[in-house]
Amino acid sequence: MKKERKKYTLYEIGQGYTFMLPAIFVLAVFIIAPILYAIFLSFHKVELLGGPSYDFRGLDNFVKLMEDDRAKIALWNTIKYVVIVVPAQTLLALVLAATLNAGLKGEKFFRIVYFLPTLTSSAVLTLIFMWMYNQNGLINKLLGMIGLPGYNWLGDPNVALPAIMIMNIWSTAPFFMTIYLAALQDIPDSVYEAAKIDGANFWQKFWYVTVPQLKPVTSFVVIMGLIGTFQLFDQSYIFSKGTGGPNNSTLTVVLLIYQYAFKNLGTMGYAAAMALVLAIVILIATLLQRKFSKEETLH
Amino acid sequence: MPTGGVVMKKWFQSFLAVTLFSASLLSGCSQEESSKTADGRTEIVLSGWGGNPTETKLLQQTIRDFEKKNPDIKVKHDVIADQYMDVLKTRLIGGTAADVFYLDAFEAPGLMEAGVLEPLDKYVKEDFDMEDFEKPLLQAFQHNGKTYGFPKDYSTLALFYNKEMLEEAGVEVPKTWNELQEAAKKLTKDGVYGFGVMPELARLYFLAESKGGQVMTNNKASFASKEVSEGLQSILDMRLNDKSAAQPNEVGADSGIEMFGQGKAAMVLEGNWAIPYLADTFPDISYGTAEVPTIGKKNTMAFTVAYVMNKESKHKEAAWRLIEYLTGKEGMKTWTSKGYALPTRKSVAKELGFADDPLRGALVAGASYATVWQDGPYLPIAQTNFNNQFLSAFLGQQPLREALKKAQKQANKEILINE
Repeated sequence: MKKERKKYTLYEIGQGYTFMLPAIFVLAVFIIAPILYAIFLSFHKVELLGGPSYDFRGLDNFVKLMEDDRAKIALWNTIKYVVIVVPAQTLLALVLAATLNAGLKGEKFFRIVYFLPTLTSSAVLTLIFMWMYNQNGLINKLLGMIGLPGYNWLGDPNVALPAIMIMNIWSTAPFFMTIYLAALQDIPDSVYEAAKIDGANFWQKFWYVTVPQLKPVTSFVVIMGLIGTFQLFDQSYIFSKGTGGPNNSTLTVVLLIYQYAFKNLGTMGYAAAMALVLAIVILIATLLQRKFSKEETLH
Repeated sequence: MPTGGVVMKKWFQSFLAVTLFSASLLSGCSQEESSKTADGRTEIVLSGWGGNPTETKLLQQTIRDFEKKNPDIKVKHDVIADQYMDVLKTRLIGGTAADVFYLDAFEAPGLMEAGVLEPLDKYVKEDFDMEDFEKPLLQAFQHNGKTYGFPKDYSTLALFYNKEMLEEAGVEVPKTWNELQEAAKKLTKDGVYGFGVMPELARLYFLAESKGGQVMTNNKASFASKEVSEGLQSILDMRLNDKSAAQPNEVGADSGIEMFGQGKAAMVLEGNWAIPYLADTFPDISYGTAEVPTIGKKNTMAFTVAYVMNKESKHKEAAWRLIEYLTGKEGMKTWTSKGYALPTRKSVAKELGFADDPLRGALVAGASYATVWQDGPYLPIAQTNFNNQFLSAFLGQQPLREALKKAQKQANKEILINE
């Protein structure tokens, strides 16, 4: 093998890189350079308007971040959102996939129906939900019909975030459902047969065969869910018209980053620092998730 | 078998080809504005937000008149549909902003300080008549003795009241704030609120300062004072004690004027924009306007927008001629002729006679004593924090003073980040 490696000539290396060049170029320009630039920005006070000026401030932005009450509220909202939405959408995706895989009539029809929310643009979806959440809207009417009190979904700080959670669970679960569905069809029938011979009932088969077999997929779904939910932006942006209101209740970390970067004039560096911290938080959450799921597989 | 040299050459050629290809893809994104049109006219770009069809027509009419008088200039009207300031700032940073654009007084201090606007004093000629503008509105666009923009139009707030509801309840149009509170109580019944409130600083600023408090002091938020909360207390009393006030989304409306139009509020404080809106959307409603009820003395808010020039503009002379025409007596007369916007020039206002208009009279009367919605470069930050915390006080979730203290603390922290 080592001998072969030495054989690469300049010609081959050049050829290889030439083939990769468009991809490398695109990656460098649109991903790597912006990341480096964001890191650079986060240590500076940046004034982009009126001729860019960069004023090195060291860790100043990060120190201020620790004392920023709105950043704390945003992080807390985001964590609440992640902790509720990720398990809920994962569970719902699994249940939907299992029902679709059970060999019922009209399976294909339901597969399409379930998947429709994912195909809809999230902006359109949010606008539709905002109509439904209106004080005189569909959801309050339905609640009224079964004798429950309605809510001011858009205006009450206590229910605005749950309103977004419900909407998002409903719209993202189907995407993960398709991933589960593919994985479910990969589980060999022989495993189920063996379980049947051992006398396992439906729930035992689901819990002791299906769920462990799906573990790698679950891990993927949870990580993708974590990353996606930590980056919640568009729904709360549209919901609150960009303010994160009512009373900061729909303010998420990414929305706050956006506000600092584009609404205020001289806080681009601070926004970059916040983005960097968010990236680290997501990294830690992902690593924790991986650690836990690995520990379980050892058992 | 190719020799080494040829291989290198080929490799280099393909490298070059790919690089050029990628580069040409990228450069497709950046636009090279041609400054001259095919027939040799200078093209200048005018950016603004969109209006309703009638407003758009009026603006296009004004631009056409300008082009007729200045055959060497072509105006390209560019509409920024949403998030105007975000788009504008991004374009200013990227160097692709229009030559002339709208600027709200509220955002003006930030841009004037950043030095991205062209001072206009040196272009102004005697016959432009700067004295003709309503002074407070012009001052909103002056900074360190320089004028950066000329207000194109404005609106104040006035009391809009539903005539039928007031008649039914036997209530006179309130003249003082106490009368308004009493009237609101009597008007509240059957799912109708006496007073529709937008719990936002932009609408409540004059109330906040009505008892001698200051919302901003030396570019720092200072609205947690006793005086400011006293000024705002009446709104909370109406909402929480009398239950005679509500915000639009409590009745399923998007704005104060929609709430009024739907007959869910008997009185609201709104501006000139509400008049065409009501005519279009709720033509059957019978309403009147009056000056904002007094709190000690007369006061209201004034909102104004100016035409300003980009400092990086390549055609400053042409851009000035456009601003000169649009904010001049003739252009302003065309633009404000239908009453969609109120003229900032006293002579035009007089000529068009809006002061005697039954609906617009109250709005025009406010111009002489109104507080302009502007307070230094950090008012936008103060506003965001104020609105957040004030809303929870408005809903009765925390005492007003405490809410304002929290908002002030956070606002000042954010201002510090900016400095």
